[in-house]
Amino acid sequence: MIPAQIFRLIHTNGLLWQATNKSLLAKLRKKTGYTFTNCKKALELHENDLDKAEKWLKEQAQQYGWTQAAKLKDRNTSQGLITVTVDGNHAALAEVNCETDFVARNKKFHNLAEAVISAVLNHAKSQNVENEVQRTIFHADSLKDLPAADGKSLSDHSALTIGNVGENISLRRALAISVRSPDVTLFGCTHPAPMNPIPISFGKYGALIAIKCKKNDNMLGTQLCQHIIGMDPQKIGNPRVDEPHNNMDEEQCMIYQEFLLDPSLSVQQLLAAAHAEIVDFARFEIGEELDEESPLKSAQTCG
Amino acid sequence: MRSNIRQVQSRRIYVTNFAALYYGTQRRQVNSRLFLPTVTSQRFYAEKKIFSRDKPHCNVGTIGHVDHGKTTLTAAITKVLSEKQLATAKGYSEIDNAPEEKARGITINVAHLEYQTENRHYGHTDCPGHADYIKNMITGTAQMDGAILVVAATDGTMPQTREHLLLAKQIGIKYIVVFINKVDAADSEMVELVEMEVRELLSEMGYDGDNIPIAKGSALCALEGKSPEMGSQAILQLLEMVDKHIPTPIRDLDKPFLLPVENVYSIPGRGTVVTGRLERGKLKKGTDCEFIGYNKVFKSVVTGIEMFHKILEEAHAGDQLGALVKGVKRDEARRGMIMCKPGSMKAYDHVEAQVYLLSKEEGGRKKPIASMIQLQMFCRTWDVAAQCSIVGKDLAMPGEDSTLVLKLIRPMVLEKGQRFTLRDGIVTLGTGVITNTLKALTDSERHDLLEGKKVLKKEKKA
Repeated sequence: MIPAQIFRLIHTNGLLWQATNKSLLAKLRKKTGYTFTNCKKALELHENDLDKAEKWLKEQAQQYGWTQAAKLKDRNTSQGLITVTVDGNHAALAEVNCETDFVARNKKFHNLAEAVISAVLNHAKSQNVENEVQRTIFHADSLKDLPAADGKSLSDHSALTIGNVGENISLRRALAISVRSPDVTLFGCTHPAPMNPIPISFGKYGALIAIKCKKNDNMLGTQLCQHIIGMDPQKIGNPRVDEPHNNMDEEQCMIYQEFLLDPSLSVQQLLAAAHAEIVDFARFEIGEELDEESPLKSAQTCG
Repeated sequence: MRSNIRQVQSRRIYVTNFAALYYGTQRRQVNSRLFLPTVTSQRFYAEKKIFSRDKPHCNVGTIGHVDHGKTTLTAAITKVLSEKQLATAKGYSEIDNAPEEKARGITINVAHLEYQTENRHYGHTDCPGHADYIKNMITGTAQMDGAILVVAATDGTMPQTREHLLLAKQIGIKYIVVFINKVDAADSEMVELVEMEVRELLSEMGYDGDNIPIAKGSALCALEGKSPEMGSQAILQLLEMVDKHIPTPIRDLDKPFLLPVENVYSIPGRGTVVTGRLERGKLKKGTDCEFIGYNKVFKSVVTGIEMFHKILEEAHAGDQLGALVKGVKRDEARRGMIMCKPGSMKAYDHVEAQVYLLSKEEGGRKKPIASMIQLQMFCRTWDVAAQCSIVGKDLAMPGEDSTLVLKLIRPMVLEKGQRFTLRDGIVTLGTGVITNTLKALTDSERHDLLEGKKVLKKEKKA
């Protein structure tokens, strides 16, 4: 071991702490993952009763999370994750921000992002789909009050995670797309795509697309999502209304853009070959500046 | 840096034939530097304070959670050392919120500081995020030789400490020293438990957790000049550990010599002269050398070295020189080859690299790249076409770092840690660093590589 452990000689709070057992503290910390200071306090309050202390910590965690969240709320969150999930006729896209990309890579943060997207998806499923394609947009405030699977609100979940990782976290925005007719299929993907595809994928960019197509072409959907992520089109474009831009690189209409994975084709040609039509699409990028008006015109905001 | 310092004394250039020739290379070199990742040398003159070079240099950095006191520790180190006249004290606010810095056109949020102990001179780096550390590694502005992991005794390791250590692994940091901070707010048992926990995590992440030195103290106490046993003494103890545990990197001067060939001239009556800047090592008249590149390897002997038309006894790394080589015809050697100590370098055509793609704002392109793209790879004085495949992703977006596997159409001299630039036409796409050399391409793979290019070309024509 290391010499000069001078600090062993310094004891800050006398007899009470002498009584609490070191191995108990280690055990409690390992089991719960709460900070050493809090674990110690829990043991002191409950006279070294491990179970009671653990229960108390869990109760306190929410409270602690909120205090921590209040303390950190002014700190800038520019990193984070975009989550995408597709389930039959419903799909969702959500952005959750944090301070450093280290946290964005952590499992705890992934769990929070997962809770957020499931809540958004469940909300979408509970609504009636009135149009062919229905978009529901959630802003930071509306996201906070959504209930997660366990009944707590999403803001409770985010406060818990803040308490855990010690960084400010904000639930920024989410979008749910639901389709009614069976010919319209939803696809989604993120970039970078996770190694083993699970129903929910995480990344720094995310895209959703609704395609009207006779046969269910999984490949086409995913590739078009990649195209949206890479080429950042602003609108689908209507061949009867929109003119192609004279500079190919500046093209913002999706149908006139050259297809990312095969630059010899335009998206329009690709769609014609597959007898498919793009009904709607959405793209999220982490930390991008929000232009509240233009892409959200057709939006129905919900409480 | 190193070459800068040697050029402190300004030199007089004698305008003769050879000098004119030298100017030619110099100009070409300036052109090539627009995109080649070589270290730009810049001259320091008398009015600048002269950097004393009596101690070996070492680069360290801090990693850890945002609230665990990395910046306070850095401020404390400069304060404690400034009392010994070994550093300039920097306040917390001067170090905090790492400023944006541009290195090779890449924006990095990084704070750079310098200080020295009795034994060594240190460059100290602190970045806020993973991506910034990666960019720092790729540009090599301050390649970290070791890291100080900061953990607060009050919190213990955080869930993201695992990610911090993963990063250290990824950017190739072999040596870590731990500082347990905020012991003034914790008690001895807690500190001991945090130490156990850190050691356990370090071992789990593949470091030698049991033997990594751990210092305990309070950076805040040191900064405020309170309780010296927790404050300044702990900082000094930490620095002693850093001195001992993190080895001094080998200086370029002590490595086997290497000269990337910039130009080849034939001097009537003397023979063939190759010019270039000696990248590392020392070169003397009569040394055996080896030329590697463009599928060729041949040996020769250096029969004379000249710098500014003057005979040089011994050239050192950083010198721009011309070397007369025996028995080499002018068309045998060419720009892009490497002249080195026989057996010290090898040519590869299959490597793995960590690459940062420039964002549009940094001058890169807007579109992402997909696997199988053909790019031109520029490195030292050579450039070659390379096929890139992206590892673990379908696309690589601008402004993002990725692992690429590069297949070169012909083997070129490369090594681990070598930096290079990728370009497509007139656009610089990104810069990278080689992280691993893979086994040479087989004939059929090479055939596919060349065919693939032809197919691509045909498609373009159609």
